Amino acid sequence: MAITLTVNGSRHTVEVEEDTPLLWVIRDEVGLKGTKFGCGRALCGACTVHLDGSPIRSCSTPVSVAEGRSVTTIEGLSDGDTLHRLQQAWIDHGVPQCGYCQSGQLMTAAHLLSYNPHPSDEEISTAMSGNLCRCGTYSNIVAAVKSVANPAEEA
Amino acid sequence: MGLSRRDFLKVSAAGSGGLLLSLNLAGCSGLQTGYREESGSWKPDAWLEITRDNDVFFTLARVEMGQGTYTGLTSLIAEELEVEPAAIQPRFAPVASEYHNPLYKLQLTGGSTSLATSWQPLRVAGASARVLLVQAAARVWQVPVAECRAERGRVIHPNGEDSLAYGQLVELAAAESVPDEPPLKSPDQWRYIGKGRGRLDSYSKVTGTAEYGIDVELPGLVYGVVARPPRYGAKVGSFDAAEALAMPGVIDVFAIERGVAVVADKYWRARKALDKVAVEWDNTEALAVSSESVMDFYRQAAERDEGAKERDDGDVAQALEKADQVVEASYEQPYLAHATLEPMNATAVYRDGQMEVWAPTQAPDLGRIAAARVTDLSPDEVTIHTTFLGGGFGRRLTQDFIEEAAAIAFQVRQPVKLIWSREDDTRHDLYRPAMLHRLKASVADGRVTGWHHQIVGPQILDWYVRNAAPAQYPWAPKILYGTLGSVGLAAEGIITPKDMSAIEGAVDYPYQVDNVEIRHTHSDPGVPVTWWRSVGHSHNGFAVETFMDELAHQLGKDPYQFRRELIQHEPRHLAVLDRAAELGGWSEPVPEGRARGIALHRSFGTYAAQVVEASVEGGEVRVHRVACAVDCGQVVNPDVVRDQIESGVIFGITAALYGKVTFDNGAVQESNFHDYLLLRNHQRPAVSVDIVESDAAPTGIGEPGVPPVIPALGNALFSLTGKRQRNLPLSA
Repeated sequence: MAITLTVNGSRHTVEVEEDTPLLWVIRDEVGLKGTKFGCGRALCGACTVHLDGSPIRSCSTPVSVAEGRSVTTIEGLSDGDTLHRLQQAWIDHGVPQCGYCQSGQLMTAAHLLSYNPHPSDEEISTAMSGNLCRCGTYSNIVAAVKSVANPAEEA
Repeated sequence: MGLSRRDFLKVSAAGSGGLLLSLNLAGCSGLQTGYREESGSWKPDAWLEITRDNDVFFTLARVEMGQGTYTGLTSLIAEELEVEPAAIQPRFAPVASEYHNPLYKLQLTGGSTSLATSWQPLRVAGASARVLLVQAAARVWQVPVAECRAERGRVIHPNGEDSLAYGQLVELAAAESVPDEPPLKSPDQWRYIGKGRGRLDSYSKVTGTAEYGIDVELPGLVYGVVARPPRYGAKVGSFDAAEALAMPGVIDVFAIERGVAVVADKYWRARKALDKVAVEWDNTEALAVSSESVMDFYRQAAERDEGAKERDDGDVAQALEKADQVVEASYEQPYLAHATLEPMNATAVYRDGQMEVWAPTQAPDLGRIAAARVTDLSPDEVTIHTTFLGGGFGRRLTQDFIEEAAAIAFQVRQPVKLIWSREDDTRHDLYRPAMLHRLKASVADGRVTGWHHQIVGPQILDWYVRNAAPAQYPWAPKILYGTLGSVGLAAEGIITPKDMSAIEGAVDYPYQVDNVEIRHTHSDPGVPVTWWRSVGHSHNGFAVETFMDELAHQLGKDPYQFRRELIQHEPRHLAVLDRAAELGGWSEPVPEGRARGIALHRSFGTYAAQVVEASVEGGEVRVHRVACAVDCGQVVNPDVVRDQIESGVIFGITAALYGKVTFDNGAVQESNFHDYLLLRNHQRPAVSVDIVESDAAPTGIGEPGVPPVIPALGNALFSLTGKRQRNLPLSA
């Protein structure tokens, strides 16, 4: 069936079965590959995108849920060529190793700062606990988020 | 060095008018094993290309899977070439013998060898290019070469004002002759080596533009998924595809070697259709083991066969006989999955008698063999393009995903992307072997006089050689592949390196004990196994350093001081042990409710010691702090070193607390991240790293963080609870 949704500000009408996970629509119909497949069961967070500003696991969200709504992916996090402050912090802190989980990590972190602009370390760790990283980049992630949220406190 | 400089480096003008330098890293090994390169001819695939437009392309012969080669190897070139690392454009290497890892004679990335094997040749190569460019500029200006210098991609005139960009010099440089001994910069001249400068792949990885295997896109691409048998080794008996074939977008359903493939125009359609394929599995050759039966099998093997003697110092039997006391312990460790976050995948297209494959692989030349084996093609008709890897850890040394994608693409004659589900990935991995360790020590006059370690488990090479041996002889006809596999095994240690996977980290027991005997009882229950981040060191490190801890407590000694007394003859071991103890506050009071454990382990040439501080809270183990001292020789990028140690620590804690793949009647029981857990952000310890300054040649860093943390955590829990845990994973 035809489903219309907005991805990073652009309207797309896609012809897919309505139970198709949003992830595969973003990747293969819209053609944005930055959102990753990790588990297919909402367990790892690699597929995290924002739906009307709230983080969701796109691997387990049927595309029908996104009908008429607005999706933001990692490609939409920056403002044109100007990186989101978190993306720049990720680079400055050398966060990505294999990098596969980092799109999801960034989308979760961006949402955290949208409702809690100055989180404590513990709040950051708790908010990021749903995003697995097999390379173990967790402490750099926390430091990068902190550098954006509380720049004065950073060592 | 078996080759002259002329063979090692070759300069030519690029077709586009640039400067090309080829480099034979594989031939530059001091570890010649009698294997001769297929031919001396130089492939057009240059490793370093400088264009007239000042683009610098560097062919990266080792893959990037998170461990930092993309940054580290590029920095070596940048340092000697005198260009900014970020100005170099790395390209992943195609399959060619020039890109062999000299230690393995294969084009593979593993064993924490990338920097160690590239350190000298890449710097020499960068310096050679720089010298050619400076010579060319000096000739243009008619000034002495020695008075010109190179800086940030330009050659500077002796007057300090005029300069020429490399791009302006490339054609002239190609006509210059390669110096015999290009001068390497001294450490005080380094701009990039030893400095933390971020990673060159960060930008693409934070913007979602880095291309992993799963991201490859081709015109007309279709998607493949595979139904796999629950029991390892089962074959397709029969299947009914009628319902699946009637579903929208389904293109074909057919049997391949390892299951039933479903191909559809969209991934989700293929996945849904797969559920509708009814497969009868032929379990005649299926595995029937359970995790318990594997350990029973090992115990029986251990009784029956004392094993091959891998080390024999002094006379352990006599030491045991004369001992005041004999301490014994057995340790059991389960199978472990790799759980790379990017599931196995590959994209293949077959047309005009040629196959092209795009894949996140640690061994592209083995991938070529795998694709050839399941098609009509010969290896030279298969091209492999390597992408970024979403984690490797040894999993992608085996090419089953390329084999499947090739078989499917060959059948459907359309570009196909094969994607494994997470469940496929967990249940059809090749695992870090389950192992049994039996240790015995003799004590006399309060001293350890003898150490006997019997390791029981499989050899990984047995599982790997099928594709690896033909990859060493890519011109051999396919009919010989089976034979080459057997020859490869028979020639282990002669043609192929000795398989150390079962004994590494045990056979090199470092402590000063007069009588040491290490034995390996080769016992293979049929479960597929392969390398896994630090492999043998991960299980031997646990057995050795836990038993050392047990001995310290038996003798009433402090575990740190006990190790210290026995490692006086090994200064690099001693230094990291002392520095870890200091960093971890070993002599300071432990916070209420917590305890500390310590361990020391050398792997991949790197020395690492760790102090772990842990507690049990609400029935769960909580790791608070890990202090690690590391000596990996000359540091190229200290940030990468720190990050890799922390990465290894988290990988090790994950294994120590959660890692367990359970077999029941030949089938893996775990499936996804709800029952194969990984450590999460809020559970991470504070990790501190102390890097020993050294001018020794660099050694591995991707893996050495893993082995010490597992025993150090177990030792901390013993100190906390008084209960010794000898089987992994650890519990509260």
